[in-house]
Amino acid sequence: MAGTGTAHLRHDVVLSVTELVVEFPARKKQVVHAVSGVSFDLDKGETLGIVGESGCGKTTTGRAIMQLESVTSGSIRLNGVDLAAEQGEQLRQARKAMQMIFQDPVSSLNPSRRVREIVREGIDIWGQTREGDVDAWVAEVMESVGLGDEDVADRRPHEFSGGQCQRINIARALVMEPDVLILDEPVSALDVSVQAQILNLLEGLKRQFGLTMLFISHDLSIVRYLSDRVMVMYLGQVCEIAETADLFSRPTHPYSRALLASIPGNTLGLPQASELISGELPSPLNPPSGCRFRTRCPHATDVCTSTEPELVEHEPGHWVACHHPSVNA
Amino acid sequence: MPLVEPGATGAKTETEAVAPIKGGNPGQKRRLGLTFWLSAGWIFTLVFLALFRDILPIRDPDELGIRTREVAKFESPGRNACGGGDGQGRDMFARVVQGARPALILGLTVTIIGGILGSAVGVTSGYLRGKVDTVTTVFIDIALAFPGLVLLIAVRATFGNSMFVFIVLFSLTSIPGYARIVRGASFALSERDFVDAAAAMGATKRRIILRELAPNIALPVLSFAFIGFALVIVAEGGLAFIGLSLDETTWGKLIADGAGDIARHAHVALFPATVMFLTILAFNLVGDSMRALYSPREVATQRRLRVGAMADTGSGDEVLYIDDLFTALHTPNGDVHAVDGVSLSLKAGEALGLVGESGSGKTMILRSIVGAFALADVTRTGTVEVAGVDMLRAEPADIKRTLGTQIGMVSQNPLTALNPVRLIEHQITEPMLVHTSMSKSEARTRALELMQQVGIPAPERRLREYPHQLSGGMRQRVTIAIALANEPELLLADEPTTALDVTVQDQILRLLSDLQRDRKMAMVLVTHDLAVVKGFTDRVAIVYGGEVIESGPTEQIFSNPRHRYTVALIQSMPNLDLPSHSELTTIEGTPPSLVSPPRGCRFAARCPAAQDICNTTPPSTNEASEHWFRCHFPAGDDAEGAA
Repeated sequence: MAGTGTAHLRHDVVLSVTELVVEFPARKKQVVHAVSGVSFDLDKGETLGIVGESGCGKTTTGRAIMQLESVTSGSIRLNGVDLAAEQGEQLRQARKAMQMIFQDPVSSLNPSRRVREIVREGIDIWGQTREGDVDAWVAEVMESVGLGDEDVADRRPHEFSGGQCQRINIARALVMEPDVLILDEPVSALDVSVQAQILNLLEGLKRQFGLTMLFISHDLSIVRYLSDRVMVMYLGQVCEIAETADLFSRPTHPYSRALLASIPGNTLGLPQASELISGELPSPLNPPSGCRFRTRCPHATDVCTSTEPELVEHEPGHWVACHHPSVNA
Repeated sequence: MPLVEPGATGAKTETEAVAPIKGGNPGQKRRLGLTFWLSAGWIFTLVFLALFRDILPIRDPDELGIRTREVAKFESPGRNACGGGDGQGRDMFARVVQGARPALILGLTVTIIGGILGSAVGVTSGYLRGKVDTVTTVFIDIALAFPGLVLLIAVRATFGNSMFVFIVLFSLTSIPGYARIVRGASFALSERDFVDAAAAMGATKRRIILRELAPNIALPVLSFAFIGFALVIVAEGGLAFIGLSLDETTWGKLIADGAGDIARHAHVALFPATVMFLTILAFNLVGDSMRALYSPREVATQRRLRVGAMADTGSGDEVLYIDDLFTALHTPNGDVHAVDGVSLSLKAGEALGLVGESGSGKTMILRSIVGAFALADVTRTGTVEVAGVDMLRAEPADIKRTLGTQIGMVSQNPLTALNPVRLIEHQITEPMLVHTSMSKSEARTRALELMQQVGIPAPERRLREYPHQLSGGMRQRVTIAIALANEPELLLADEPTTALDVTVQDQILRLLSDLQRDRKMAMVLVTHDLAVVKGFTDRVAIVYGGEVIESGPTEQIFSNPRHRYTVALIQSMPNLDLPSHSELTTIEGTPPSLVSPPRGCRFAARCPAAQDICNTTPPSTNEASEHWFRCHFPAGDDAEGAA
């Protein structure tokens, strides 16, 4: 598989994902091509947003990095160590440095345990992970996520609202001082006003703890708020990677443009979404040849059918995988 | 910020109606009920008697009354011997207490051994899945099909009647039952995010099984164990009755011994039989009551629709007219005032956006119109009229006809809205065949037209398909086609795009809006997302704490929001015009409880502009004006509107 190119990768990064492929077996000996040759990296202190619609492989990518899905091929290097080459106990050790926040804040918490146990879980598993007073550290983290009240620790998850539960999840991850924090749709189950609370909290924590984050979401306006760079995915491949401001002001891949034009009430000056995208998402069992977006793209030509586009630097730091990149079309 | 505020459960699902109930009393204790305590009392008494038989004033069960003359031969139950005497004058009560010992010892050991081993097998198999699970499941199935009784008879012939043999055999045969139940529960639990979260933390498989899964399956296993306990007693009794007793005095043997004299001295068999029956019943009832602790559905309230006093009626030219609507859900934890004095009206061709957060009551307003409440005891007071028909008080047949012909519904999740085993064609033609005089072929032609109108490519082929063969967006188009089948005057859309992707959301909203305008339908669009109503509705009503707190033309709501909640809601929307990383405006705190709503303004506790009056006096308003709001200290410069 040609993949979508690796020219955009940098050196000396915290996390580097190269040519990641994740495939699941399906019925009748078919294969679900969930992620097909995705490459990206994450610098220290950076937040990379991954956006795309359902079926684009963004969640699978996050879970594969966390080793919650088995990787078909490709490498995931954390601090220079290739996780794909590690196995069993070594792998478990390696991923101590990564933590993940899931979409459903309530389901992510074991209903039969108390908040104190949940937040301390990492320390219980790994033993003392840092110098100094562990209890004071846990208390500090709880305070940082807005759960400083004394009586919180003895309660159980069902006594909290969705937003509070997500704070507990964040505290549990932060206690481990992760090198990389992966957030999979962390606010999509929450109400608008609570969403804003959690987003502000994450932005504040990023500064306070120097977090490096991978922020996965279907919601462009939310991704835009938190991310330094944004990566757009479609049907298991990368369409475009750019600095957040560049992507929103000059979306170049036809799919990115359609995605942005679909934001309700947007003021981006793009044509109506119905002019930028048509038809239905093809099956990941049998993705289109060449460019995977070609079946829905208004600009598609023969070359799109025959040749898979690779990521090309369109402007400095703005990478696009398209044979007919267009800003003004 | 208050940490444990009722009323907010965050998740944006169709269970919104239930959310305030669940959140309203977060620490609620589910009750076990009288049956449980009576049954538990019986079991406790039995255990107590069996344990302390020797020091309690109970006769020796083997003492022959015909010799000691304390108990007569076949003495009837009475003051001297409450269970009567048997053919040799032995005290039946003492014998039954003696017989409780083998029953309880066998039941307890078998339940513990079988329960622990079965659970261990089940949880491992359910969590690890894959080959381990396949092999285990096959073994469980074979074991469950194996005739345990035959094995028991065969083994007994070789090894004799020892308690040890019974325990081993009974334990072995009970393992598959536990394993199967626990495997199912663990399988479902391991799909929950907290299991992934623990794995992501670096927890070992062993730790996940012991710390994450085990505590959550403990209660179901315990409940099943009580029922399993009863099964052991039944099995042991049955074996003893056919002569395979493990002891001289077991309940089964006592019954078998007394059976010969049952015609003349019924009590000799009936007394142990009754005790055995009650014991088995007690264990079963304890097990069943415990199920209510982890399966709340079983204690759901009764379904009931009540109607209260009427308010004003509409003038007749409104498609939808709601006046002073109150909807209360009666729950064991108190009444949830889901809709609290809402008035709305909608003319033909008008589109209204009903916007609020989860638990605000927006979906309940919609449900109050059609009278659909899942598993709830509900009272609606006030007026709801659709095309002139009183939806609360009209004849059931009229209400049904109005629902079928005047109202089209589009729900949040198209997959659950459609019947998975029926062809699309049958689902679209059904409302026409039920409510109109259309023939089958006419209905089919119309179904084809509708499919084209909602933009489904290759409609003829799609009509002959099932819902699972369609994408999410296509399914929602089908539910829209069904909603339009009888040309309704009112379209109710409840979060129609929340479950859909953003590019599909745009298509569906445009489709709904075009259809609504072309057909001059009135439409209520319920959503949590303010951005969705912009451009697709004429008016917006903002719902908070069961009330409409602001209502007006869509443009004005966005350009000149007056209620402080509306202002905050608009500001907390991630805005594409703001630079990224800038701080979003938030609304601190959580929505009010709908069980005991605040006395004054519902938003006072979270409002930056609140003063004393806000906590004591509900703000009044002139609902006749075009743009109105309930706020003592509205935002914006002109103070008109707050009367």
